[in-house]
Amino acid sequence: MSRYGLKTIAFAAMQVVGALLATAAGAQDYPTKPVTLIVPWPAGGSTDISMRAIADSASKVLGQPIVIDNKAGGGGTVGPATMAAAAKPDGYTISQIPITVFRIPLMQEVSWDPAKDFTYIVHLTGYTFGVTTSAESQFKSWKDVVEFAKANPGKVTYATPGTGTSLHIGMEQIAAMSGIKLTQVPFKGGAETNAAVLGQHTMLQADSTGWRPLVDAGKLRLLMVWTGARSPNYPDVPTLKELGYPMVYDSPFGIAGPKGMDPKIVAKLHDAFKKAVEDPAVIATLAKYDMVPNYKNTEDYKKFVVEVTESERKVIDTLGLAKK
Amino acid sequence: MDTLANVAHGFGVALTGINLLYCFIGVFIGTLVGVLPGIGPISAMSLLLPVTLSGTPESGIIMMAGIYYGSMYGGSTTSILVNIPGEAASVVTCIDGHQMAKQGRAGPALGISAFGSFIAGTFALVALMLVAPKLASIAIAFGPAEYFSLMVLGLVVLTFLTQGSMPKALLMACIGVVLGLIGLDSITAQPRLTFGRMELIDGIGLVPVVMGLFGVAEVLLNTEQAIKRDIINAKITQLLPNKEDWQASAGPVTRGTLLGFLLGILPGGGAVVASFASYALEKRLSKTPERFGHGAIEGVAGPESANNAAAGGAFIPLMTLGIPPNVVMALLLGAFVIHGLQPGPLLITQNPGLFWGIVASMYIGNVMLLILNLPMIGMWVQLLKLPYNILFPLIILFTILGVYCSSNNVFDVYVMIAFGIIGYFMRKLGYEPAPLVLAFVLGPMLENNLRKSLILSQGDLWTFVQRPISAACLTLALLLLIAPLLPSLRKKRELVALDEGA
Amino acid sequence: MNNQTNVKLRLSNSELWGGLIGLALGGFVIWSGLKLKLGTINDPGSGYVLFYTGILMCVFAGSIIISAITEGGPTLASRWENVRWSKPLLVIACLAAFSLALEPLGFLLASIPLMLLLLRLIDPVRWTLAILIAVMVPLGMWWVLKRLLLIQLPSGLFGIG
Repeated sequence: MSRYGLKTIAFAAMQVVGALLATAAGAQDYPTKPVTLIVPWPAGGSTDISMRAIADSASKVLGQPIVIDNKAGGGGTVGPATMAAAAKPDGYTISQIPITVFRIPLMQEVSWDPAKDFTYIVHLTGYTFGVTTSAESQFKSWKDVVEFAKANPGKVTYATPGTGTSLHIGMEQIAAMSGIKLTQVPFKGGAETNAAVLGQHTMLQADSTGWRPLVDAGKLRLLMVWTGARSPNYPDVPTLKELGYPMVYDSPFGIAGPKGMDPKIVAKLHDAFKKAVEDPAVIATLAKYDMVPNYKNTEDYKKFVVEVTESERKVIDTLGLAKK
Repeated sequence: MDTLANVAHGFGVALTGINLLYCFIGVFIGTLVGVLPGIGPISAMSLLLPVTLSGTPESGIIMMAGIYYGSMYGGSTTSILVNIPGEAASVVTCIDGHQMAKQGRAGPALGISAFGSFIAGTFALVALMLVAPKLASIAIAFGPAEYFSLMVLGLVVLTFLTQGSMPKALLMACIGVVLGLIGLDSITAQPRLTFGRMELIDGIGLVPVVMGLFGVAEVLLNTEQAIKRDIINAKITQLLPNKEDWQASAGPVTRGTLLGFLLGILPGGGAVVASFASYALEKRLSKTPERFGHGAIEGVAGPESANNAAAGGAFIPLMTLGIPPNVVMALLLGAFVIHGLQPGPLLITQNPGLFWGIVASMYIGNVMLLILNLPMIGMWVQLLKLPYNILFPLIILFTILGVYCSSNNVFDVYVMIAFGIIGYFMRKLGYEPAPLVLAFVLGPMLENNLRKSLILSQGDLWTFVQRPISAACLTLALLLLIAPLLPSLRKKRELVALDEGA
Repeated sequence: MNNQTNVKLRLSNSELWGGLIGLALGGFVIWSGLKLKLGTINDPGSGYVLFYTGILMCVFAGSIIISAITEGGPTLASRWENVRWSKPLLVIACLAAFSLALEPLGFLLASIPLMLLLLRLIDPVRWTLAILIAVMVPLGMWWVLKRLLLIQLPSGLFGIG
């Protein structure tokens, strides 16, 4: 019996030593289990699928699977906010960070502070946005929309992936410049806005390129794109600038973890995701959604966050959407 | 004729050795994760997605699809055996399925759910082949107003799930809605009812609530019975459904299949609503509604067929529009895209081999599942012969593990234990958990769609009546609500109430 | 039901208590809804649905209370008549202790004693069998999850598991 007890104690002691060593070796060994990547959009939209492709490629570098967790809502802020509030900064929970994470705090009281609550890791890519309508709709071009809206203020409804998203802000800027009033209907993301505009529940859809297969199939009509130059896939569709709105919206995004992550772990994640956006297979998947890699390293990404917050502040102020 | 040629082509793809193997691996993993409560198809598919990328797109997607419908087969097992629903769609199976097990009829219950699943699954596939493109319009005919009305209908259906007092059931439903709204508001990202607790920001998980209210509460209730050695009171007489069981189940299976298939097409809680609605429908149509809740086989056959048919219907919006109706379908969509394919209106014409190959593989997978599941029934029934004083600690351990694994979060284990205790007192005071769970699932969708439709209609409540689908749902809901007040129907409810009092 | 177990306006009426708890919860939900802002009907706010659900809760709870008073209901004691009420309490106590122990001790150190307690306290199982099950089953599950499914269970302060 005593021999047995001794063995148990020795075993326990070994476990304790092992555990101590494990903590010390944490950053070197990372990752030892699957990493969860929060995608704050519903599964099946352009962000979701491009992030899945990127994560798949990055997981090969990390040597551990990356599990996508779709936490949609709040214009893509519910996911990052949940992470900031509840996740440990151990590198096993990271999140896609859409631009709304910086913008919505300027518009209302929120539970997170974009300057303090995140460890920014790497900047990845940006979206191509566009405005579509059902192929059966009366609107053949953007001009038709403006004319109809002038005659019927507030009657034109548009589906967005959430209040405060670039799509919402962009549409409000467009409306302000044309002197019309449009009504925003906030959905959770691309899969939902596609269904809404296809079923003509809303007249327009403003979203990233998740609409592409439906536009290609002739079920939706693309009225404009928000890129600087025309999309090579849709050479006939005008840009914002050509329609007389001097703006370009691309809403770049990257990934971040909760505040206080070990720089060594950040470096490992950064390297893995950098390789991923250089992977030709990933570039091909991104191209399906008219997206191109827009890599920024950890330091540049941090600077970019500060810049973007400032420029957003100006836009929000001019639109009168700033929090009181 | 075209279709036949396509089907033949599809079987040509599906019957190749490698695809058969992938299909088998898929349905096998699916059966496993379906049986383990808490570990659902989503986590298994996320982990296995990278594995599928090495093979051809067909093989990968055949395997992923296999996991999905395989898990639908296994989902009812723990509901019937130990009153732990593995997922929301099998909550309703607990009501009568577990009662059947207690009466020694676990075999027929498991058998009818396997056969019902098989029939429903096969029907859904035939329908998928023949009418998929035509039905795609259903998926988009539902806008916010229609969803709101459908959710209202779903909530009214729950009044048929209850055996006792109506106000109690409705109070439970309201509590379910409120619990469902805990967390960040999906429109404004404001925290609601989180009491400053970080863990609640994300809301309460369905798995811990369901496992607590059903699994743990059931254990607590059972332990207060003096020395009851096993779950089964009666002797086990048969392992498979007999002739009478089949006669009783034929109607429920048929109706459940149709209902499930149509509701499955809708993005959102199709399968859950379908299983509850099927139960309500069977109870309503039954000549002996008082048997429901006390081991009526119709109450197992209908909902189990409905949720499997819904799993088939869910492929329609994905394959024809590229709109995934649930997270599992979205994972499949991801698999398609990473393989360089784009589901959407053009998929079937551009990649006929892929589409028909997948559909054909699902036929084969369904047969495999039936062969795989039937022999296991005997094994499951043996499990019930374990003395309860050994079985119940194991049940508690498995619920704890299931809850932890579904979210990797210790907080969820606390939530489950808390709901177990609440569930015990609820049951003691005659409050039933099923309406709460249904409302918990539907509540957030109800709220979100109500708010969106009010924004769309600019505050005009008539929108719910002016839109035909919405109006139809609301009319049906109203009819169901006032039905108990009509004299001829009242008799039935009184019978049920008497039964409860006894 | 006889007269002793069916009471009307008494503190021991279990139906009355159920209704009162429902009413209190309803009141709380209404208050939370108001605090979260109702918004307008054109653009309902975060508290809109909560507020109206709270009102409904109060209505249903009210009707439960009314029928409890007019028709009466079983006493609290009668709900626990002829059953071993102490057993569920013991299980609840074990579960509460388990949830306190889970994070500091880790899964294995917390669940082995839990299993042992449950196996011995309710309808005692033979010691040898109880110890065998209590040790082998958690250990087996832990191994399957960790090695086969790559799921890390809580390991606690001592890092065991």
